[in-house]
Amino acid sequence: MLPAISDIERLLAALPDVAVAEELLGVVARVSLADAVPALVAIKAAGYESLVDFDGIDTGELIELTYRLRSYALDTELYVKTSVAYGGTIESVWYEYPSALMPERETAELLGLHLAGHPNPKRLLTTDGVPPLLRKDVLIRSVEEVKAR
Amino acid sequence: MTDTCEETLGVGLLCEGQHDPGTPPAGLRRAPSGVDGLTTEHLIINMGPQHPSTHGVLRMLIEVDGEEIVAAEVSVGYLHRGIEKLAEHRRYDAIGTLMDRGDYVSGMMGEHAFAMAAEKLMEVEVPRKAHWLRSLASELNRLASHLVWYGTFGLDTGGMGQFLYAMRDREALLDILEALSGQRMMFNYIRPGGVVADLPLGLEEKIRTFLSTFDMYLEEHDQLLGGNEIFQSRVKGIGVIDRGIAQCFGLTGANLRAAGVDFDVRKARPYAAYQELDFEVPLGTKGDAWDRYMVRMEEMRQSARMIAQLIDGMPEGPHTAKVPRVIRPNAGEVYASVESSRGETGIHLVSDGTEHPYRMHYRGPSLYAAQALEEILPGHLIADVVMIIGSTDIMLGELDR
Amino acid sequence: MSPIAVGALKVFAAIGLMLGNGVVLIYMLRKVLGRLHLRHGPMEMGPAGMFQTLMDVVKLLTKEDITPRAVDKWLFRLAPLMVFVPSLMAYAALPYSDSWRITSLDSGLLYTFAVLSLVPIGILMAGWASANKWSLLGGMRAAAQQIAYEVPLLLSVLPIVMLVGSANLGTIVEAQQGTFLAVLPRWFIMNPLFWPTFVLYVIASLVESNQTPFDMSEGESEIVAGFATEYSAMKFGLLFLSEFSNGFIVSALGVALFFGGWSLPWIPASWYAAAPIIGPAIFIIKTYIGIFFMMWIRGTFPRVRIDQMMQLGWMRLIPISLAWIVFSGIVIKVWS
Repeated sequence: MLPAISDIERLLAALPDVAVAEELLGVVARVSLADAVPALVAIKAAGYESLVDFDGIDTGELIELTYRLRSYALDTELYVKTSVAYGGTIESVWYEYPSALMPERETAELLGLHLAGHPNPKRLLTTDGVPPLLRKDVLIRSVEEVKAR
Repeated sequence: MTDTCEETLGVGLLCEGQHDPGTPPAGLRRAPSGVDGLTTEHLIINMGPQHPSTHGVLRMLIEVDGEEIVAAEVSVGYLHRGIEKLAEHRRYDAIGTLMDRGDYVSGMMGEHAFAMAAEKLMEVEVPRKAHWLRSLASELNRLASHLVWYGTFGLDTGGMGQFLYAMRDREALLDILEALSGQRMMFNYIRPGGVVADLPLGLEEKIRTFLSTFDMYLEEHDQLLGGNEIFQSRVKGIGVIDRGIAQCFGLTGANLRAAGVDFDVRKARPYAAYQELDFEVPLGTKGDAWDRYMVRMEEMRQSARMIAQLIDGMPEGPHTAKVPRVIRPNAGEVYASVESSRGETGIHLVSDGTEHPYRMHYRGPSLYAAQALEEILPGHLIADVVMIIGSTDIMLGELDR
Repeated sequence: MSPIAVGALKVFAAIGLMLGNGVVLIYMLRKVLGRLHLRHGPMEMGPAGMFQTLMDVVKLLTKEDITPRAVDKWLFRLAPLMVFVPSLMAYAALPYSDSWRITSLDSGLLYTFAVLSLVPIGILMAGWASANKWSLLGGMRAAAQQIAYEVPLLLSVLPIVMLVGSANLGTIVEAQQGTFLAVLPRWFIMNPLFWPTFVLYVIASLVESNQTPFDMSEGESEIVAGFATEYSAMKFGLLFLSEFSNGFIVSALGVALFFGGWSLPWIPASWYAAAPIIGPAIFIIKTYIGIFFMMWIRGTFPRVRIDQMMQLGWMRLIPISLAWIVFSGIVIKVWS
């Protein structure tokens, strides 16, 4: 279910540069990187107790991070989006949402980001030396390339 | 190994959020080491990835005091195949094969989530019959998957019979699924637009025959494992994931419902044919391993109920919408989630209008269950570890992707 | 014949019995478990897979015997023998029939329990020497478990010794000859006084012989293979042979104590004299029936948790068996 946009706007009123809109994805609050943690803190206080999903998208210019939050009491879902530059640092929200622990590690590893404030900022899925696989500039070999080898 | 453990084991997570973001993590939750001046050393054990009951390739570093666990760290990635990256190089109708290999015990649900996400972007109207066939396939698959869980849970407790009895019923289910989709596990049956084939002739009868004995067999399973005094004394009260832990660790599915949170994607966000079906969502109270066992057993009963309804009410009509050979959905970003056997399987799909997805993120519920293990394992015995892993029903295929 | 030759032959007979038992029991285990689990068990080697165990023995003998580098080599090699030899020694006092037995010890019951209690030393040795954490846990579990259950095992059978007035297993069997009402055998299991004794004995002996649901020291789903994790080839074979053999011994003791040993009341005494093989045959068949029940439990039951098992031993079984000794002592005194 979708939350009311006005509620979310009121929730994040204290933060500058917040845009809340309903998109195909759902209700999305776009915040700047510096505001991401305060926004999540405010949202958690409003009853969104569960971080259901966290992932990053390489848009070609920036890495766009998506937090999917759910409130079981309100029965609503909310997306929080923020952007970080390539090789940038994201602040961990594990003390608000412990479920971010592994997804944050995974995102940082697969998109080439750094983690700040994470208790265990190791790689999650791949070994050292593997390039950030989900970045668009990391290519996997096509069938033709494999045949040509 | 010791160094990394010291740094990282058991960060002392607290779900109530009274952690001050400024202070560093609380550090190891050490049991008092030694009594009356006698010092005892803790043993750090590497459990997995080849341990017989870590359900695939889960690796855990556990620090034990005798047999009691002081801290645990879950280490994953041994089954990483880069499904998310590979999906960016596949066409939309071919991604189902990747989804099957994510959660390979319940492939239908992964396919279903992806198909739903793609359809949202394609703006295609899925025919009613396709919805019903999808629900049917999902419920059959849920039964098969829960039977694997039941059997391996039995193996974890040390009983061998449960596993083989569960496999007997799963075999019948896999035969049905093979007749439906042409494959036993890697179905690729649910595709954007509908399903790949109609119900074959005679399968209805086959499913009815299966259902006629399944309720009896299910009672047999419940008696064999859940009715056993030894089993009850082992699972009751261990691995308590209460409401707070379940919510803040993002658990979904039976693990969440065992804690008493009434959230089932099939009910809360109805998709496919589920709003037309009559079924109940079983809930637990305490959230211990026994509650998770009870919830899953009841889910199997409800699935069998749903399959009967789906067979009886199967509508007429086409089994798939008209979909172009090469699917080029609109550019955009969607999220679709289904209730898989292990929880909420979500697909975050970004399209740029070409024939390949721009980005596909696959949310596996097992990842969230696995990281909650770090929180709930301390204080238990080694024998309980395998029981708790078994009761959370994690699937390493979708954890590592 | 010289007494030394007789003694040597008896030892060889015991080894033969033990090895033969091992082969038969492994085949039986597979078939029984297969039957319980809706499958066939071995089917390929020979008729109904009868030669499967033989092939396994050949495999175990010809496999590479791996000794990991970090192990304590002497202890590692000694441990299988320390497990195997006591298990072999326990065959000495078993009464196969009134004439067939290796030795007739007046303290036969105590002797058997005494040598069986040497087994955990070997297991602990194997666990410690393996330089593997899982093995160590397995060894520790074995030591804890066997020490805890040594006491109730012995206490549980004392009422029988009190009634018969002897710890000689042969004498105990002879006390069970004859019938009640010309139909029911006069076995101790028919005596209500010994029903709690029997239950206590079954539980304690399952623990003592390391059988499911008390197979703590090698619980494969928890601690990989416990003390046997690092063992391979025939060393592994010896460890497992002695496990099967311990199962045989506790079952044989149970038969001797509760089920009349070599005797069947319906067979006239003259037959025993005519064909001395009948007694041992009956004894072995009864023992195998007991082992069948052990396998049945193994195929069905989950495993108990270690702390629950220790609680059961120290807090339930020992007080109950002590109380039962007092009670049955009074009953026996009053009765006679």
